[in-house]
Amino acid sequence: MYLYTLLAAVAVIALIFLTPVRHKVWVATGVIGLVAIAAIVLAIRSFTSVAPIVIAEFSTTFFGAEHFAIDKLSSLFLVIIAIASLATVVYSRGYVGGYLKRFAAAHISLHYTSLVMLVVAMMLVVMSSGGFSFLFSWELMTIASFLLILFEADRQDVRRAALNYLVMMHIGFMFLVAGFVMTYSVTGSANFSAIVDYFKLAQPLPLFVILFIGFGMKAGVFPMHIWLPEAHPAAPSHVSAIMSGVMIKTGVYGIMRLMQAIDQNTELLYTIGLIVLLSGIITGIWGVILAAMQNDIKRLLAYSSIENVGVILIGLGIAAVGHAAGSSLIGMCGLCGALLHTVNHSLFKSLLFFSAGNIYSKLHTTAMNQMGGLAKHMPVTAILMLLATVAICALPPLNGFVSELLIYIGMFNGVSDGHEVLYSVAGIIALSLIGGVVVLAFTKLYGVVFLGSPRSTHVAESSEVDNTRIVAMALPAALILFIGLMPQYAIRPIAVVAESISGANNSIAVNHFAPTLEAVSATGWLLIAVIIILFVLKHKAQSNRKVESGPTWGCGFTATNTRMQYTGESFSEGLESIGKPLMKDTVDGRAVDKGEIFPSPHNYRIRHKDKVDSLLGLWWVKMMHRINEYVMRLRTGRVNNYITFALAFFFVVLVLTLVGIL
Amino acid sequence: MLIKLLNTLLMIVVALTITGVINRTRAVLAGRKGIRFFQHIYNVQLQLRKGAVYSTTTTTLFRIAPCIYLGAAVVAFLFIPIADLEPLLAFHGDIILVAYLLALSRVAIILAAMDTGSSFEGMGAAREALYGALVEPALMMAMATLALFCGYSSFADIFSTAQELDMNLTIVLLLVAYVFVVILFIEAGRVPVDDPKTHLELTMIHEVMCLDYSGVDMAMIHIAGWLKNAIFAVIAANAVSVAISFHWQFTVPLAILGAGLSIGIVESLRARNKLSRNTTYILTIVAMSALVLLTGFLLIQNIEI
Repeated sequence: MYLYTLLAAVAVIALIFLTPVRHKVWVATGVIGLVAIAAIVLAIRSFTSVAPIVIAEFSTTFFGAEHFAIDKLSSLFLVIIAIASLATVVYSRGYVGGYLKRFAAAHISLHYTSLVMLVVAMMLVVMSSGGFSFLFSWELMTIASFLLILFEADRQDVRRAALNYLVMMHIGFMFLVAGFVMTYSVTGSANFSAIVDYFKLAQPLPLFVILFIGFGMKAGVFPMHIWLPEAHPAAPSHVSAIMSGVMIKTGVYGIMRLMQAIDQNTELLYTIGLIVLLSGIITGIWGVILAAMQNDIKRLLAYSSIENVGVILIGLGIAAVGHAAGSSLIGMCGLCGALLHTVNHSLFKSLLFFSAGNIYSKLHTTAMNQMGGLAKHMPVTAILMLLATVAICALPPLNGFVSELLIYIGMFNGVSDGHEVLYSVAGIIALSLIGGVVVLAFTKLYGVVFLGSPRSTHVAESSEVDNTRIVAMALPAALILFIGLMPQYAIRPIAVVAESISGANNSIAVNHFAPTLEAVSATGWLLIAVIIILFVLKHKAQSNRKVESGPTWGCGFTATNTRMQYTGESFSEGLESIGKPLMKDTVDGRAVDKGEIFPSPHNYRIRHKDKVDSLLGLWWVKMMHRINEYVMRLRTGRVNNYITFALAFFFVVLVLTLVGIL
Repeated sequence: MLIKLLNTLLMIVVALTITGVINRTRAVLAGRKGIRFFQHIYNVQLQLRKGAVYSTTTTTLFRIAPCIYLGAAVVAFLFIPIADLEPLLAFHGDIILVAYLLALSRVAIILAAMDTGSSFEGMGAAREALYGALVEPALMMAMATLALFCGYSSFADIFSTAQELDMNLTIVLLLVAYVFVVILFIEAGRVPVDDPKTHLELTMIHEVMCLDYSGVDMAMIHIAGWLKNAIFAVIAANAVSVAISFHWQFTVPLAILGAGLSIGIVESLRARNKLSRNTTYILTIVAMSALVLLTGFLLIQNIEI
């Protein structure tokens, strides 16, 4: 079996490398399409069967018997991965098409090989039973995404961000290795199912914290989120889409597996629920405030991914706390909300990153303050991005609202039934603050980029992107509409998965919120109908009146120019005083002084950096630099010196042996 | 069904009259005779008959935005009960939907303001987005307090439960009503957060966002404003009604007079906040609603023990 797998891998790589450069994308699309279809078919089959479908069983040298199997949770993630990767690879045709002349054919081949590798690795991660196969797929996923980030390797900031990513991921990886070794040493197996036994046999909390850090590093949980805002602006947009939409969710997947392992022990579930809830609240608020402060499209989107992971963790945390307190309704609402939000975020975040990619490929920048008025030049992108913006702001009638509503209902039930009121209230405060600030962040993004008039001359030269990209974007857009307008159908599979995680029979809880979702759906349609009726009425009222067009009212000032528009920086100025403790500003140049009556030209750049970045980044980087300086002295480049080092080494070994230490 | 229609009809009455009460209160306190009670309705009627001028900078979004602004407010409006009357629409969890519908209407008007490319309107949009973000937790917590006392998360259920409440809880509910009135000041763009009568665009928030609207669009924005006023005024009045077991006959005048008089009196007696102080003002309300919620929680715990 190993041989066939290896042969298939070699064949795919060879095929990608051998096809002419223009058609490489179709090979990748074909392969990913086949894998995605297979994954979806298997996922559906496992959904209807009671027992998990086992794909392969094998024995590993380190951790014993392991297997790849698809249970309910895996199948949900398989579907998410399949949809997002299909959209991504179709989108990549247009995006990578702009680079065909700039890079060698091998470079493009490597990119597509890594893309295929990433998709396969993510699917293996969610199918693996744990232990070696899990770590192997996890590492494969990291390496593939590292290569994908490195696409524009001739840019220094890209290389920096990719390296930063690689280092961070390996710190997380070490934690995972430690966690699995701990499980193996106590139970004799490193599978996820063995963690259940570990929690019974040994002190459970240290293992949970270690694995939580390992998974949290990938998911971008505070304070391990600092790689995200660096990696996303560096990566090509379709890679950002798949990384932010799906790959970071494998971290969430890991956390869900851990929670699956503790459904019996209520005391532990309670503690862990608190940890998850608290880290979700901090991650969410931190992410959203920094998102609102960013002036780079992709950095803003990256911080918003952090915020969404926070929302998912709030849902999971409240589910665990509620479940431990004996309310299966709260447990079910939180869990369904978290799972549905995972799905939803993968949809609207890919759509947002695709839109950002459309803009970048036309304007060659992601700096918001050089844009404006793009809606006139890229109307389709503008409409799709508006859809994603409304969805991510969790506004009715789109999908983001449905998942946040479920989490809210869980917490409001906590309040009204008297279960864990204080934690529910903490969650409500956090979620409503996040909901409010995310509106600020995304109205800023959309308003500054697409609306108003152009702030630079590049905008006037931009045009709509090619049709394949639009098709790729239509897939997530259609699903956003479907989940938003018909949540009662979308919730059924989610509820089945939630049941498989929490273990208890939750049909009462499902019955409880099924009418709510039907009502939400009806309200959504009603809202659309009301808006259309109002628009028609307005049109009728205006039909026999004079409708003119003229310049924007400048409040009596007639010499307005486009530079006077509100910029991204000024839009979020009010939040700055609140967000100040979270940021460290770096300033280039000098601002115009208040005393200057006739200001001379100034260059002024400000960047709001994450405080965690400077706190975590500084001391150990400095220390590494110092150690490196000492080590570098040994690298003289002379052969005789190296021979001396070898001799010294042998001498030390000899002495140590004689003394009896070795 | 008849009760539902009665409820909607009364809500419309509340929506149409609050502005009249505000204007009359301001006039009386300033020693003026004042405009006609229903003058604001005539103004809107006039606007509905007019044409429009659209800026060349704007896109189609600008023309749809008033419909979304009003549409979301209309749908939210249909969920609000007056005391123990049944609203037209209700389901478990609708208090969250109402809050997010109001957020949707805010997003529509913010984006429309950004669409004009005017620096003044951008300024208004930024302020509205910030204050909206900050007031959201206060709104949710005030609603959570109601859910805590009444054990439901639907407006219809919360206010229809006739309960024998302890004296302590009555006071807490009155505080909840106060929080809702202040949220009404903020959402409706009234003193002390915003002043609709100011003459300088630089100091406006809500009004400056609609500078480029005229005719039917402006009328829609005004109507949406009335509906939003009614939503918060009625919720506040309902909280009072639950506290002292009033029925709807009393709640309707309470909502109209409570909201109208408080806005009118506050506007006559004090000046608008310095804009930089608004953030602190709103955060104080957030803190206050958190305090109200915690006090309520502690009281309920004590009673059960």
